Amino acid sequence: MSASKPSAGISEALSACREPFSPGIHGGHYHATGREPQRHGLLRVSPARLGLLATLVLACQAKAHASPLDTVQVHGFLSQALVITDDNNMFGDSSDSGGSWDYTELGINASIRPTENLLLAAQALSRRAGGIDNGSIELDYGIADWQLLSNTERTFGVQLGRFKNPFGFYNQTRDVAFTRPSILLPQSIYFDRTRSLGLSADGLKLYHEERINDGVIHTQLGVGQAQVDDDVEEVLGLDVLPGSFDADTSLVGQVRYEHDGGRMVFALSAASVKADYDSPGASPGDGKLDFQPWIFSAQYNAEQWSLTAEYALRDVELAGFNAFEDNKNQGESWYVQYRRRFLDDWRWLIRYDSLVNDRDDRNGNDYEREGRGPSYSQYANDWTFGLQWQPHSRVMLAGEYHHVDGTAWLPVQDNPDPRDTERSWDMWLFQLSLRF
Amino acid sequence: MRKAALRLLFCVCTALLTGGLVGTTAWGKPPTDVAVIAHPGVALQELDRDTLRAIFAMRLRTWPDGHAAEVYVLANDDPVHGAFVKQWLSVYPHQLQLAWDRIVFSGTGQAPHRVRSQRDMIDTVASTPGAIGYIEREYLDERVQAISRD
Repeated sequence: MSASKPSAGISEALSACREPFSPGIHGGHYHATGREPQRHGLLRVSPARLGLLATLVLACQAKAHASPLDTVQVHGFLSQALVITDDNNMFGDSSDSGGSWDYTELGINASIRPTENLLLAAQALSRRAGGIDNGSIELDYGIADWQLLSNTERTFGVQLGRFKNPFGFYNQTRDVAFTRPSILLPQSIYFDRTRSLGLSADGLKLYHEERINDGVIHTQLGVGQAQVDDDVEEVLGLDVLPGSFDADTSLVGQVRYEHDGGRMVFALSAASVKADYDSPGASPGDGKLDFQPWIFSAQYNAEQWSLTAEYALRDVELAGFNAFEDNKNQGESWYVQYRRRFLDDWRWLIRYDSLVNDRDDRNGNDYEREGRGPSYSQYANDWTFGLQWQPHSRVMLAGEYHHVDGTAWLPVQDNPDPRDTERSWDMWLFQLSLRF
Repeated sequence: MRKAALRLLFCVCTALLTGGLVGTTAWGKPPTDVAVIAHPGVALQELDRDTLRAIFAMRLRTWPDGHAAEVYVLANDDPVHGAFVKQWLSVYPHQLQLAWDRIVFSGTGQAPHRVRSQRDMIDTVASTPGAIGYIEREYLDERVQAISRD
């Protein structure tokens, strides 16, 4: 039975290990990926160091499978975009002539399997996005994943650490261009302006996968502390005050059914994210934030096209503050997206995306009457047309056009004065993405 | 006249779109007969499509006996990979690639091992405990076991 030839096997394993996954980890690609952002002066990891790391990992991988080090994998991605708007700013001064280059995503991850049922994985992310993110390196996720049960019918496991929240179809890999259908994810559901709220959590997540006839039911339930960063205070207008939010225990869960190898996918995601506001002075006073989104997701995948729709309801409650009355409202978001492949490595996309901040004030008239800001800041309807070209498995070029009515998801960080915004605006984005 | 022009346009579009469909498979050749192969030490001799999907989507990390499953694949644009993915998993290479990307970049799993040729594939699967892969049936030899469809 075990009639393998060890000597030949090792040399073949050598050549095989040199090419794990997206072909090859070679220093040259690190240098290539490092060049782009440095020109814009944000990168803080030196390409030489990345190259050294890659060489080390390559050296480890090139050995025959003998120690856990042989299971080490390293992957990464880089995206640089140009954003041009006629009015309003998205990710930097995009309405200035020449647009904004302030949208860069750089990530590197490593994983290892010390034993058969344990997986350790972590990803560092540097994201620069206008006034929202400054490019500082953050731990995107860091997980110890222990599979307690794994057989042909089911898998059950537990993850400890910082995990990405399973929100809708795209949240868990939202910063990786290659996993996105467009440069910008539908902003009605995957907000960039308050992305910290739903991004990830520090705690524990249980997952279960049941393989039934012709389908898979994937269930995830997490409990932990959400990341409530400055972006939330900025959007709520509390950033000028000395207090800040502290994340409380939050819950997140998703049930996803994939039929026939993913030809049809349905998912229901829900979360309860809580944070306490600690105010040093009497104004605005201590208070609580409670954010409860529900997302219904559906997708049909054919060989050459896919149709995707997601619908979300968001309950947002602010309570207990001295400076303003308790405030509770329900926001509504949905989009429908059609994506088509052509000529092998091209894809085009059309999407309509709609967001309403308050279902009881859909056109924002009450909001404006109360003197809180322009009515059009309470909704956004976005027509998107996108094109992606992947000339190589590691390279992607993309361009897209948005015609937007309303500013409900426009980053407050890039548009500090709502009176300076325009209701109807257009946006062009171009992006180069690399991965290994 | 206009009708004819429209018909011509339609034909061109259809040809362009279906061009993508056949572009990766060897045009004019009979369909490739792909065999799933495993290291001789792997205890399962037959696997159903759902289990194979879970293994090649990198969601099933261990064999029932607890040993790590080592998954080997050819390049996405290799016709044998395309034939395997369609015949055995009933999905498409770009969908499998997306599944791997989602796992790799969310920290919930690892990518499969890539080999450059069918020769590398059979040599590596034969010499790596827990390994599973695929080759054209004509290259099968006694160093690996062929997995049959349940």
